[in-house]
Amino acid sequence: MLENLSITEKQILERLKTIPDPEVEVNIVDLGLIYEIKHDEENKKVHILMTLSARGCPVGDTIMQHVETVVKAFLPDYDIKVELTWEPQWTPEMITPEGKALLNM
Amino acid sequence: MQAGLSTKNAPSPSVVLPHYAVGAIFFIIASVLLFFASGDLANTYIGPKILGLTHILVLGWITVIIFGALYQLIPVVMEIKLFSEVLAHISFYTLVTGTILLSYTFWNNYIGETIYMQIGGTLIFISVILFVINALFSALKTKQKTIENAFIVTSAGWLLLTVTLGILITMNLVFNFIPKSNLELLKIHVHFGIAGWFLMLVIGVASTLLPMFFIAHKLNRTFLKLSYYFINAGLIFLIFALYYDINIWLKALSGIILLSGIVFFIKYNFDAYKKRLRKKLDIGMKLSVFAFIFLFLTLFFGILSILNLNFLSNYSNQIHAAYGISIILGFLTSLILGQMYKTLPFIVWLKLYQDKVGKYKIPMPAHIYSEKIADWHYYGFIVAIFTLLIGIFAKESIIIQISAVAFFITASLYAYNTFKILFHKQKLEPLNN
Repeated sequence: MLENLSITEKQILERLKTIPDPEVEVNIVDLGLIYEIKHDEENKKVHILMTLSARGCPVGDTIMQHVETVVKAFLPDYDIKVELTWEPQWTPEMITPEGKALLNM
Repeated sequence: MQAGLSTKNAPSPSVVLPHYAVGAIFFIIASVLLFFASGDLANTYIGPKILGLTHILVLGWITVIIFGALYQLIPVVMEIKLFSEVLAHISFYTLVTGTILLSYTFWNNYIGETIYMQIGGTLIFISVILFVINALFSALKTKQKTIENAFIVTSAGWLLLTVTLGILITMNLVFNFIPKSNLELLKIHVHFGIAGWFLMLVIGVASTLLPMFFIAHKLNRTFLKLSYYFINAGLIFLIFALYYDINIWLKALSGIILLSGIVFFIKYNFDAYKKRLRKKLDIGMKLSVFAFIFLFLTLFFGILSILNLNFLSNYSNQIHAAYGISIILGFLTSLILGQMYKTLPFIVWLKLYQDKVGKYKIPMPAHIYSEKIADWHYYGFIVAIFTLLIGIFAKESIIIQISAVAFFITASLYAYNTFKILFHKQKLEPLNN
């Protein structure tokens, strides 16, 4: 899903790696929670599609707010939209090799 | 943003936090009472001091914290707002006052002599009614009709039966209108409370939280459903068997149905444990996993207690006592000690840092309490509980007193961390990288 990213989208992804999941303390990118990043330069919009590791995750709201803050700090003039989806449902297979190393998997 | 995210539904912290504070204080009080009840506990499983201590533990320590945690958790797992925060506040004050009055009269053996016992019982009854209203009306609004939620709602029903029977027993002491001995009624009251309320509730909550904290997926939910039906069926059967005093094998059969339900629950969570992503367990999860050892001990003493074997007749009082201790001070206490670290830091953290993420360098939830203190009370607890069981079977009050000191240290360290979290001051540092 995170394929063919533009340079800006890759830069956004790198910044999202600074956001930890407070429970696991692995960043949300390596945990596989980010599904899509779309950077629309013409309309000055960024759209991020993401999920959470469990429904009813007590810190879900905070993580999404964190994503918005980080992207806004990088692209202050842009309209940032963070969307939550449960499709497809997150599974441990979505964790990146770096994330698996951090979790000693 | 999608509806139903917990932070939007979470109640105001003033509903939840006082429960954690008061629960921690009741745990310290209980450890002091244990010291002074040691003489009774060395001989029997029932008596004024033991009744007083038990109600401080099950109501003041365990139920107070469970109520608080549920006000936070019900909105999370059911994806709705809590029905009423005002009812939650009233329920808290009536529960705390009622528990103090009731335990005080039990401890001093004022049963039937003063009106305080009836007032205490009535306050607890009111508290529970308000809690049940809150839980039921919240549950009616939810779209999440899961088996975990069914456990939580059903447990509230059993709690209502527990306190109803409890208050009938206190009335019966004075007016004597139920044609049954109070000891028989007490056994039913205890099983309503332990298997119906605590166990059902803990299964609902644990089956929601533990897989989430373990980050375990693809679990076989059939075991959880079987657990629900077996425990309820076994319990209903057991209540009839106890009330009509049907023969011992029927009691044993109902016990086996109930215990099978517990085994299905253990199986479900053991699968989550095996499939967990987080191999290293933090202190909260270590204590929670440890709790399950006591669930096995409860099963063991429960079976011995039902069978009432001849060659153990010199120890029948001790087996009854160990049965209660392994579930109340073992399983439930260990689970609360552990799950405090998985809930309270997050609640306080969300309150202080929710809108600061990404803007400042902030501590993580795990950094706002002392891990070392938590480790110490983990070991203190292990020493305390096993010394207590040894003291019970050795029938030695001095060993029980040693265990009470260990419990006092455990409870004080636990309270230290609880208050450290509750009084945590916001720490913001500029983002400089």
